[in-house]
Amino acid sequence: MTDEAKEKNPEIVGFACSYCTFKASEMAGSLRMKYPEGVKLIQVPCSSRVDPAFVIKAVFEGADGVFVAGCHPGDCHFIKGNYYTRRKIVALKEMFDAFSMKEKLRLFWVSAAEARRFIDKVTTFYNDIKEKKNEREKA
Amino acid sequence: MKGKKLKTGEIENALNRFLKDEQHLVLGFKKDESGVSHHIFKGSLDHYSLLNPVFGANAALYLRRLFSKGSQVMLMLRPCEIRACVELNKLTQIEREDIIAVSIDCPGTVSSKEKKEEVPAELHELNDYFKNKDSMRWACSVCGEKRAVVGDAGIRIDEKGNYWAIPYTEKGEVLLSLIDGEPEEVPAELLAAKEQKKDKFQVDMEIFNKDFEKCIMCMNCRDMCPVCYCIDCVFNGDEYLPKGDALLNKVFRIGSVKMPRGKDLFHFIRMYHVSQTCVGCGACEEACPQGIPLTKYFKGVSERLQDIFSYMSGRSFDEPIPYVTFLEDELKDATD
Repeated sequence: MTDEAKEKNPEIVGFACSYCTFKASEMAGSLRMKYPEGVKLIQVPCSSRVDPAFVIKAVFEGADGVFVAGCHPGDCHFIKGNYYTRRKIVALKEMFDAFSMKEKLRLFWVSAAEARRFIDKVTTFYNDIKEKKNEREKA
Repeated sequence: MKGKKLKTGEIENALNRFLKDEQHLVLGFKKDESGVSHHIFKGSLDHYSLLNPVFGANAALYLRRLFSKGSQVMLMLRPCEIRACVELNKLTQIEREDIIAVSIDCPGTVSSKEKKEEVPAELHELNDYFKNKDSMRWACSVCGEKRAVVGDAGIRIDEKGNYWAIPYTEKGEVLLSLIDGEPEEVPAELLAAKEQKKDKFQVDMEIFNKDFEKCIMCMNCRDMCPVCYCIDCVFNGDEYLPKGDALLNKVFRIGSVKMPRGKDLFHFIRMYHVSQTCVGCGACEEACPQGIPLTKYFKGVSERLQDIFSYMSGRSFDEPIPYVTFLEDELKDATD
């Protein structure tokens, strides 16, 4: 890979709940679906395990985008974990918005059976970030 | 609303009556030659002052991990300090039985850093002093809640300069029962009014970097913050900060990095962690040796984040902190 091509590809860190989103990514793998190489998944026991500090750290240590993904509300393996996630990440988004960097963070709900949805969500996020990054490079 | 009008010296008498019990203490302000400062009184009051015109530290800082085993502390403090105590109570740092929280109407304060001349501690002199807005601390000049409407009871000031004691909870009645006189109707017009809503806080990373350029990562802001209470902070040691090869990795990824490393990370994480509990007292700014406008950021961000859940830190003892509770049917547009 040349330097030029390398620069243009963003790096995305994803926190994926091991019961839903991570299972969906495994299913996508077994179905031979592809998602961008720049997306790095980190498996967490539940999406509410993600302290917003992890997200902030990822952003300030070079990630171009971060997403947190978990089970649909009500389907949490631990009964109510993702309700807390929702509150925490909404607040974090508001904080990022205050610093005009809202586009760096996303929250998805992906269940274990939704491999297609997982690929869609991740690819759209990746492409949006990539577009913005390349625009900035040019400017 | 019923309350008791306080005659001159009456509050001192009431507190002295409270202090007759061996197990009772009063945390308030003491005025002596060196100025007004926080003081815990035992036995009887001595040079007691109801108001303190200089902000040094937030007194809730002294009350962390307060498990008093039978004794009781009457807190006679500013509204921001009482609100921080209420938050610490929710965070199980202060036991509810141990305190009677009494807030006092706050005319505003002067920064202990900028204090040059003698600042008066009497109400009417203080009001004259603050006619010139510049003499007030920035955090106080934008404070939205100077009214003593928080805690167990409040000491309010009416337009004529009379003091009123108003109970809000059963514990507040304890203070009232120590005061002579019959409860009467409190006048509707009180001195400190509710302030108007301000614009949403909005900056970008360029402004942030410019403001925090001088930060030396001494972490005084964390240490003096009344609600930043964790014994084992994530920033104890440098586990959370990039160092060694991680730092080089960061530099190769995002380009040149200003040292000391990780200050943006430190302030962002702290800003998030205190977001729902921040009372906007400005103790962090007071403690900053570099004069960074921390209150602007912490207060601005926390107000925005509290607004999402219609929460206000320290408003009541019963409201849970938003991050530890939830509603099933809310935040419909949370996902992207």
